[in-house]
Amino acid sequence: MGKGYVIKRILYTIFIFFIVITLNFFIPRIGVEDPAERYYPAQGNMTDIEYDIIKQLTREQYGFDVSTFQQYLRYLNQLLHGDLGTSLQAGSPKVIDLIAERVPWTLVLSASTMLIGVVFGILIGAYAAWRRGGWLDNAVLSASTITTALPGFFLALLFSLYMGFEWEWFPAYTDPNLVSSFDWSWEAISNVLQNAALPILATAIGSIVGYAQSTRNSVISVADEDFITTARAKGLSNNTVLYKHVLRNAMLPIVTSLGMSISGLIGGSVVIEQIFNWNGMGTLFLNANNTNDYPLMMGIMIFLSGFALLANLVTDLCYSLLDPRVKLGGARR
Amino acid sequence: MSSRIVCKRILALMLCVCCLALTGCSGGNYARRTDNSRTLYIGVVGSSFPVSYMPWFSRDGIAPTISSMVFSTLLSYDEESATYQPALAKEWCYVDREGNPIVTEDGQVDYDKLESEYSGRDTQCIPIRFKLDENATWSDGTKVTVEDIYFTFDLAANQKLSNHAGALAWVNDLMHKYDSNTGKLRRQGIYTYDTGANEKGYYIAEEDRDTVFYLETNKVLGAITSLVSTVLILPKHQYADIISLDNPLYSTAPSDELRHAYENPIGCGAWVLDTEKTSGQEIVLRRRDDYHITAEDGSALYKADALSFILYQDINVAIYALKKGHLDVLDSSISANYAGLFSDEKEIALFSAPGTYAQCLVLNMNPTEDRMTEERRMLTNPDFRRAIALAVDQEDMILNVLGGRGQAMPSGLILPSNEDLYNPDANIITGTAKERVEEANAILDTLYPEKDKDGYRLNGGKRVSFEVLGSPGEQEAISFLQVLLQRVGIEIKYAAKGNSPETTYLYGGNFDMTIQGVIFSAGNVDIMFNSHFVSLSRSSNYGRLNNKELNQTINKMRTTLNQNTKYDLVKEISTVIAQQYYKLPLYVSDTLSIARTDRCQGWVVSEGATAFNMDSLENLTWVNH
Amino acid sequence: MKKQSNNFFLRLWRHPKGRTGIIIAMLLVFCAVFAAYLAPYDPYDVTQRAEKGLSPSWSHPLGTTITTGQDIFSMLIYGTRVSLIVGLVTGICTAFLGALMGLLAGYVGGFVDSLIMRIVDIMLVIPTLPLTIVLTNIFGKSYFMIIFIFTVFGWTGLARVIRSQVLVLKNSNYVKAAELAGASRWHIMFRHILPGVTHLLIMSTALTSAGIMVAEAGLSFLGLGDPTAISWGKMLADAQSGGALLFGHWWWIIAPGIGIFLSVFSFMRIGLALEEMFNPRMKQGAGVRKLFKSLNNTYIQGIFDEMNEDAAGKPADGKEAAKA
Repeated sequence: MGKGYVIKRILYTIFIFFIVITLNFFIPRIGVEDPAERYYPAQGNMTDIEYDIIKQLTREQYGFDVSTFQQYLRYLNQLLHGDLGTSLQAGSPKVIDLIAERVPWTLVLSASTMLIGVVFGILIGAYAAWRRGGWLDNAVLSASTITTALPGFFLALLFSLYMGFEWEWFPAYTDPNLVSSFDWSWEAISNVLQNAALPILATAIGSIVGYAQSTRNSVISVADEDFITTARAKGLSNNTVLYKHVLRNAMLPIVTSLGMSISGLIGGSVVIEQIFNWNGMGTLFLNANNTNDYPLMMGIMIFLSGFALLANLVTDLCYSLLDPRVKLGGARR
Repeated sequence: MSSRIVCKRILALMLCVCCLALTGCSGGNYARRTDNSRTLYIGVVGSSFPVSYMPWFSRDGIAPTISSMVFSTLLSYDEESATYQPALAKEWCYVDREGNPIVTEDGQVDYDKLESEYSGRDTQCIPIRFKLDENATWSDGTKVTVEDIYFTFDLAANQKLSNHAGALAWVNDLMHKYDSNTGKLRRQGIYTYDTGANEKGYYIAEEDRDTVFYLETNKVLGAITSLVSTVLILPKHQYADIISLDNPLYSTAPSDELRHAYENPIGCGAWVLDTEKTSGQEIVLRRRDDYHITAEDGSALYKADALSFILYQDINVAIYALKKGHLDVLDSSISANYAGLFSDEKEIALFSAPGTYAQCLVLNMNPTEDRMTEERRMLTNPDFRRAIALAVDQEDMILNVLGGRGQAMPSGLILPSNEDLYNPDANIITGTAKERVEEANAILDTLYPEKDKDGYRLNGGKRVSFEVLGSPGEQEAISFLQVLLQRVGIEIKYAAKGNSPETTYLYGGNFDMTIQGVIFSAGNVDIMFNSHFVSLSRSSNYGRLNNKELNQTINKMRTTLNQNTKYDLVKEISTVIAQQYYKLPLYVSDTLSIARTDRCQGWVVSEGATAFNMDSLENLTWVNH
Repeated sequence: MKKQSNNFFLRLWRHPKGRTGIIIAMLLVFCAVFAAYLAPYDPYDVTQRAEKGLSPSWSHPLGTTITTGQDIFSMLIYGTRVSLIVGLVTGICTAFLGALMGLLAGYVGGFVDSLIMRIVDIMLVIPTLPLTIVLTNIFGKSYFMIIFIFTVFGWTGLARVIRSQVLVLKNSNYVKAAELAGASRWHIMFRHILPGVTHLLIMSTALTSAGIMVAEAGLSFLGLGDPTAISWGKMLADAQSGGALLFGHWWWIIAPGIGIFLSVFSFMRIGLALEEMFNPRMKQGAGVRKLFKSLNNTYIQGIFDEMNEDAAGKPADGKEAAKA
């Protein structure tokens, strides 16, 4: 992999990010003459006089008193310094602080789901493919049809209803003190596990089945290749053939899709978090939406886009490392 | 082979993790269950808790409640007796030009004298004399003195230092003005012993120098309301050195000291913020034992040692938490749909208080020319509006929308329970539902006699149809209104309000009808009448009512210095408002709230209040103690 | 073209999976069209409200809602309309847009190709669910907005697949002959190359529709759809916020879930059957294997990623497409 390619890829990523930033800048400005209107606090019980003063001060504070181009430059400058903006919440917390608080909690859910999905899914899938036509194979097929058609949030609601409310196996809703009382003690960790159990369970099923299905197909297609027949003919044992040759090659597409899923790690669990009241990025974004907190919403968008770009970049580079057959830069074309 | 073992090990690890998770999975062990102390656990539904507690910052969510408990105002307004009760200030009175209190023999305000003294053109303001309670202290032990009062009002009046935090502490009626351009004090309106009170003619004795002060206010009765009951007093010793022109209140980049002051509030209220236990999900207030106001028998005024507010994102979660025993009470009211959940619960009490907020159908009766449409032209006709008012059957709405849990609002928009302001003559929509529909149809038959095949009236061949702007929660109400108005041949349809309805539709008069909540009381008529029926720019007067006589009467009401005259004028205004057929009341919903009775009892609810209120706190008794 | 479609429907019917798919889909379409006659009550009619929160009984087979007293069974039937319309319209629009873009990129090549691929890259990076939330915040909540956003973000995957197929077809003999004969670019694209990718389009329409139905349910669940319309996602949202979990009213939750399941299942079956018909080598619907995985976890993210993965995931990609 040539250095030139890596640099080109990175520059390309930066270019795309730039375009995304620009789009992000203009979105809250669509549809209103005075974009500052989106930033005014709710009027509440204020009188006209109060509200006029507040409008003027908001305009100055959020920098709407200069031209759009100047605002854009200020925005770029701000981003360069790592400042994603200031939320409209009381106390004006920085967006980056809010995000930093919530991201680990979202990762607890999504990373666990992905881990469980990958580990169990690949095992099951490989086994199913190896014993093609067996009961596991058919089970995986039926399961995949069902789990696709049943939306994950529906499963989550069902689990919440039965395992949470009716049978009380797990807490029906996340403990509101989960985040603040977390201190790395055994109790706290156990508390987190209990509360995370239902959301993870609801999404892990789909994840496992998905990875199982992909692995199965991938393994089948590789197993039919000529070089495997050769290996068998050479007299290598079943296990060696399976693990050393088949799986290694079958993993490539899995790795790619894993890489793709990484970008969904943070932004993807909005619905599940909402159902279980889990305090992650998803609920942060939904709350920002409900309170019209535009700086926070736009800040989160930039963060997610940046993260997705980074994930794609890393995946691309890794993939080229793993699969020498693939032409550099042509992997996803 | 080794891979198999690896797989088995991974599986075993995962099983261990699962077992860990299942340990003690009886649904979590929140502190509440085992708590034997006198801490009250209160559930709050919202999206986030404030991270700083500067009391002038926000009017949304739990912040005003917390602020009003940690900080204090000069006086507090008691709705039932319609008087001002002592808070920080022990006594207060209007004073005449010689400095004598304007009071009657039994200590009430002598409004006749007030009027004769100050209504003339020769006076610019009314001075009010206050005496602070000498036992009032800040939570760090410092005494509350007039310097804090001066500092607070001065800061609020100085926009350059207080930004729009000052605008939220509304001191417009205080005659203490700063020039917003130069930042210099233009007119002084707060007088203490050290700032020239005696020189100005306001007598303060030497021994009273720390407790007595005078405020000069606008010549309206309502001036005192916001000044004494809404402005929360700030500690000078915490803020004075920190706030400057470079570091004003509510800037987006406050200095560290200012941030520290926001997050560690020093207040003179009955409670102090427990900063250690407070987090983004929970706010803990501890009762101050050195609070200067006590109960009649000398014990603490409020019966809980600490209050723990816990944040929930969703009302369902909060109700569930209360059912499970993790909470004692909810801060918000619940919908009538949930009443069935508690019928079997022995330890949870359901409280129903008559509401004070009326939902009204607002008609756009006076749109500007560029917003005029055929439909809105129909609404400019007062007879047409009367027909609509007749067709609205509040009893029907209450039965269907609220399940019977509500009461009707008379057309004068003041409830009968509000004895000072209620005028029975303002109730001009009378008769049984059937009679009213007949009368409405009679009126409409003269205006738009033609009907189409569905029974809706035609105006020049087009069906008479209006769009009612509402939020998704108001869809049901609008659907039932549809049925009611169908009886008189008018069609209405639901239209989504969108995100910022005020700027998009309402302020510009770009709507047919909408739903609005109104509440009028003695304490707010000054502001509210103006906002709802007079002001034409960016106010609650969505339909742009512009009646010169009404405006004059409202102005007279606001400026008269005689309270009796004022209340009489309110009654008159109430009748005129009813005759405009502008804001048609639909219903007043009861306030439903729940509280547990296994740890503490003695919940009291007054009109419009939920179980968690200051009266309950004064009245609580604990079961285990 | 007509002969092809005759074959195509019959072949689909004969295929066991296709048959189940078609039967259920027809049933749903029937429900959607004749909802007014099939539903015992009109959920839009306020005068037909019953007592709130009733359990299933003979008069209300699925009970009534806690919040408004509407009959859940009727709402279930009316809900098919939104799902089917949003799913099918988006599927068709995506197919059009994707085909157009794929053809342009593949056949015209050069600058147009790079431009379109750059746009695809940008589309991929923007997180779609948050963007949808922001756009509905700004422009208002309606199904039109949702269809628009799905289309704008959904054509990327199909475009890529079409593009790789077009690249192969570009070099075939009859295309070269047409070029020599002096046919215009548009003529070649639409008369010669497009028929070669029709099977991909039809398959993609069916599968996209399935995916969109799930995604639309998710968006309606979050409250981003038209608040006056009755949709399954919204029913689930109302169930959750109305306290169905607190009261234990499982019927309110299961009913829309079954609705979503049936609609997605039927279209997926059709899509899979189509794929098996066109790609006999991959008997188990390999092309959409990753569609399954992600649809559950990250609805929109997944769909769009998946569409792209078709091209990247299979080393034997080119061979598959060529055989079709």
